[in-house]
Amino acid sequence: MASKENRSISAAILKQPILVLIILFIVVVGFVNPSFVSIANLKNVLVDASIYGVSALAMTIAIICGEFDLSLSSNFMWSQIFFCYLLNSWGNTYLGILAAWLCMLLTCMFFGALNGLIVVKGKVSSFITTLGMMMMIKGLCLVFTDGQMVSTSNEFVKMMGKGTLFGFSYLTYIFIFMVLMAFYVMKYTRFGRSLYATGGNYTAAQLSGINVEFNKFIIFVILGLAAGISGSMFVCLMRAGSVLYGADLSLTCVAATVIGGTPLSGGKGSVLRTVIGVLVIYVLYKSLAFLGLQGYFNTLIKGLALLLVVTFDAYMSKTGKRGINVGKRAQ
Amino acid sequence: METGKKWISFTILLREWGLIFGIVIVIIVAAFVNNQFLSGENFANILRSVSTVGIASVGMAIVVIGGTMDLSIGSTISLVGVVTMLIMNSPSGVDPAGTDLTAIIAILAGVAIGAVVGLINGGILAAVNGRMGESFIFTYAMQIIIGAVAFAVVQGKFQSAKYPNGLFKSMGIGITPIIIFLVIAIIMQVLLKRTGFGRNLYFLGANMDAAKMAGIRIKTIRVISNILCGACAGLTGVLIVSRVNSASCLQGLGYEFDAMTCVAVGGVSLAGGTGSIAKTVLGVMVIGVLGTALNVMGIGSNEQLIVRGAVIITAVMLDGFNKRAKLKEVGH
Repeated sequence: MASKENRSISAAILKQPILVLIILFIVVVGFVNPSFVSIANLKNVLVDASIYGVSALAMTIAIICGEFDLSLSSNFMWSQIFFCYLLNSWGNTYLGILAAWLCMLLTCMFFGALNGLIVVKGKVSSFITTLGMMMMIKGLCLVFTDGQMVSTSNEFVKMMGKGTLFGFSYLTYIFIFMVLMAFYVMKYTRFGRSLYATGGNYTAAQLSGINVEFNKFIIFVILGLAAGISGSMFVCLMRAGSVLYGADLSLTCVAATVIGGTPLSGGKGSVLRTVIGVLVIYVLYKSLAFLGLQGYFNTLIKGLALLLVVTFDAYMSKTGKRGINVGKRAQ
Repeated sequence: METGKKWISFTILLREWGLIFGIVIVIIVAAFVNNQFLSGENFANILRSVSTVGIASVGMAIVVIGGTMDLSIGSTISLVGVVTMLIMNSPSGVDPAGTDLTAIIAILAGVAIGAVVGLINGGILAAVNGRMGESFIFTYAMQIIIGAVAFAVVQGKFQSAKYPNGLFKSMGIGITPIIIFLVIAIIMQVLLKRTGFGRNLYFLGANMDAAKMAGIRIKTIRVISNILCGACAGLTGVLIVSRVNSASCLQGLGYEFDAMTCVAVGGVSLAGGTGSIAKTVLGVMVIGVLGTALNVMGIGSNEQLIVRGAVIITAVMLDGFNKRAKLKEVGH
């Protein structure tokens, strides 16, 4: 009885090793520097995680559907810059702010749609397409701003970044809303399930009447939209836009997805896992700062943690898979 | 009948080596804008400037043919750069009598560091039977780690050369880097096309499961291909330091995407198992000639980024159309 219980606990730990590791990590860092576990700091972690989190959700959906996007970071830069620019000219009225926001989102979705068209109709792999688009959008940002930072002193945006409701920042609520929406769409709608099918087995999904080409296309539009929303959240917090902010966005989002446990092979995974992945990454970032180590040491541990988690995950799934395959072949 | 056959052979030629026509068109346009573009000196300059990214691209092509990729080469180049600079700036390197001997040690150390990074990449990938997806995330993690190590080695400080003229300084100037680039490319082309290792690598990239069933030692092939890629990145780092006479821990930033660009423009499919080093060299030349031509036309570096992005997508799209058209012909 006891051994069975033990086994189920160890099974649970093996299922979510990252969650256990990160709780251990928080406890250790909390002992070294108690102010890390203060409510104010954990709220800060949440705010920072919210911004990249929205993009990470979209990246997870894309990876589930078997695609991914390197141009997300450039799209994020563009959204900050263009949003600040529009706010400076239209931001006097609420209608103007709304118009600026929608206009910025439309441009981001247009870039996403361009990616989608090239991938679906041009049949170019998403790595190359989005690598090219990454350069093009970054070039556009540089041409647009001449490399300068664009800042805005809009009051509404300032209020969105600083304001709190029940003690939590508005940005956190936006993230939570996005998570719930993404979870609902992926789990309970026909469209969400067809995305899983498209990523799992493209040909089978096509034969069963799913519009796979539309799915692949719409994924990139969603990615563009998410980059736009993330960018506007970032503008609320920083009240500025520049090509220097968010260069690591796309790869961090892929890392958050993979750490959360969504495999890169597609067809499996969930957006809730990515929420865990994002939180793990941000707790790691912030806690390393609280340990008082040198900057490069933080980077080193960040990389090592990513490598260890992903290797462990890949090794576990490989051994699991192999066991089943060998059994089948023997029969 | 005969003319028809000739026409087909011409289209086949165009399909196989369309990149050459691309280069020729760019050269003609640039020569109209500025006739200095056609001078031999200019071409030597172009070759010299692409030789570093060219060597990195040759290494990248090997792993892409094998069905993985390596995002860590940028950080590897930075690390090799700072380490070789520290070796050359040591007392024995600054001393005029010992500078050539130290240069040999520094060059070997640089290539060895690259090979070790490749060994780690390849070892992990072989251990988990990784493919493109896994290699993407593993080598991204390695990029972060190696970048941090490079920063730690010099504490983020910029290093300038203190050693006298000699073997090390001559590595990156004049015709030497061009010769090194071409020799590496020829060796790798022969290695991939004429040896068992090369054939197995193509097989591995095309179908890993089938290669395993066929009794190919896929883990060994995977590790060797990654070591070759890392060593090429190491050599690139040495040549860059030698040319610019300084080293910083951010020197290699973005080289992985530059190399991927050249590899993709050269027609090496990211699906693995196809492509060649010769075409990668052509891809490198296209990017190099295009960059110089845009400079000659007076287009700024920001706008060039847009053009380069468009060129990558267009080149790979056309390549894909060609391949599908070829398959259709075979089918008929």
